[in-house]
Amino acid sequence: MPNIKLQSSDNEIFEVDIEIAKQSGTIKTMLEDLSVSDEGDEEVPLPNVNAAILKKVIAWCTYHKDDPPPVEEDEYKERRTDDIPTWDQEFLKVDQGTLFEIILAANYLDIKGLLDVSCKTVANMIKGKSPEEIRKTFNIKCDFSAEELERVRRENEWCEEK
Amino acid sequence: MNGYQVPPYSNGNSGNGAGPSGNGGGGSGPGSKFGSVSLLSVDPPNINERLPKEIILRVFSHLDLVTLCRCSQVCKFWHQLAFDGSIWQNVSLFEYGKDITGAMVETLAKRCGGFLRSLNLRGCQNLNDSAMRAFSYHCVNLERLNLSDCRKLTNEACKHIRSCQNLLSLKVNSISNISDDGVRYLAKCERLVELDMSWCNISDEGLTRLAQSCRHLAALQLRGCRDITSHGVAELSRHCTGLRVLSLYECGHNIRDEAMQALGANCPELRTLCLSHCGHVTDTGMIGLAAGCGQLRNLEVAGCRLLSDSGFQALARGCPQLERLDLEDCVQVTDITLAALAAHCSHLRILTLSYCELLTDDGIRQLAGGLCAPESLQVLELDNCPHITDTALEHLVACHALQQIDLYDCQQITRSGIRRLVGHLPNLKVHAYFAPVTPPGQPEPRRRRYCRCCCSLL
Repeated sequence: MPNIKLQSSDNEIFEVDIEIAKQSGTIKTMLEDLSVSDEGDEEVPLPNVNAAILKKVIAWCTYHKDDPPPVEEDEYKERRTDDIPTWDQEFLKVDQGTLFEIILAANYLDIKGLLDVSCKTVANMIKGKSPEEIRKTFNIKCDFSAEELERVRRENEWCEEK
Repeated sequence: MNGYQVPPYSNGNSGNGAGPSGNGGGGSGPGSKFGSVSLLSVDPPNINERLPKEIILRVFSHLDLVTLCRCSQVCKFWHQLAFDGSIWQNVSLFEYGKDITGAMVETLAKRCGGFLRSLNLRGCQNLNDSAMRAFSYHCVNLERLNLSDCRKLTNEACKHIRSCQNLLSLKVNSISNISDDGVRYLAKCERLVELDMSWCNISDEGLTRLAQSCRHLAALQLRGCRDITSHGVAELSRHCTGLRVLSLYECGHNIRDEAMQALGANCPELRTLCLSHCGHVTDTGMIGLAAGCGQLRNLEVAGCRLLSDSGFQALARGCPQLERLDLEDCVQVTDITLAALAAHCSHLRILTLSYCELLTDDGIRQLAGGLCAPESLQVLELDNCPHITDTALEHLVACHALQQIDLYDCQQITRSGIRRLVGHLPNLKVHAYFAPVTPPGQPEPRRRRYCRCCCSLL
């Protein structure tokens, strides 16, 4: 398999199997549209991803290289976040800053599978928490006034009564 | 705090690679978990500064209703995001049931607006007609609406629903206040593909009106609509020729051979048909059905006691794709029917012969030597067939795919016969009951059967 060279924002070069790199929609398009040669002498610059994160992303793509291509989402299917594969769960046990950077990288590189599991991981950090706990988890400042807070609390009372 | 000096998200997703936040800005080692961040008493990164709005919405799209409502109380920005219509496309209030009242639904309808595509209000028994007005007013792009068991609704609700012109699937089953007048409104939803009006109060008049305007209907459930007659079914078949699924379960004695003949003549796509407890259909109807519905996969005629071998012979010949056949309580069925199924239906997976009291071991022998035996037949229900003996079980050894056999109240079946069969088919589930030797107790109450075609196919 031919390799391609990916260059991180901090100028580190990673040599990756083309098929693995093509899980990124962004890289795939670059290869097709710009006919970047696959002889491996040109670097593909990725100015939005640093070396540490790019390394993680490549590790994910390598592990998932034989996955079937992502299917069209059935918009009516149940919302689930309990279906993250075990390997991915372990892979995403990183500090919150890194997790957010992985999400941003997956978004920029257009890697749907990685974007999904990482967003679901954040969703799982939200689930089951009270508004105050959510604020603590994500370092969010409550900018409601006391009256506003009371109003939004009442607005949502109905779903808590169950 | 330290290390999290990141430009606001509006500056793009720069990843801020070389910045101090780099890898593991929290100073946590490899394999550390989220918790370790707070252990080091470093504030976690502020999600609103790190992630763009689109990504937070994407996270929200994985959340359930209750969690979203909690998110809306976190801060002003999240309040706005949590009510972004794009994540309210598919709403189910089923689990809230009776607690749901009109006022809540109205708020919800406003929040969802034109984004709402699928709404499940099944079992919201306190919902009234005006709540439906809110939805039809605010949510004109609804495609799927489930109102099963919303018993307070009336024809007035149908009047509101008619403005949902994009509706593809609608369930109003068990709303007994809905009558032909309501159906007249529903008929305005001309794109309907799937409709469940079981146990509504409708007659041929409503059905005809519906069929005339909803030509794309592919699945129609009319269970327990006892005022519907063959005439209504014939009208339906004339206008909705693409019908694939139809249930007339317990529609009663007004469904006669003319209904089946019309389906045979007009609906060649029919895959699933339930006529259970339409006790007046005869072999003439079955012959008419089989002549035209060669694609039929799933047929239920439980309790149709006038049907006999000549009808089922025609069925087996005309419908070789049959996968599921329920003949419970078709008391005239004999081994001849089994021979015909054996000769023509190689895909038969599930065969119910409960209470077919004339069947003998020889019929089972023919079935076990037939086309469906080696690979297809998975479930065989033979309960209450008094002439079946252990010999039948010996024949069934040839049915390698068999997963389940029902033998309740087959008095000539013995434990050792079952043991021998299971010896050959070790994965077989056997449903049988042997009363204790001491005085016979109450005979087991006859099991209530449910209609199997109720899972709709769209």
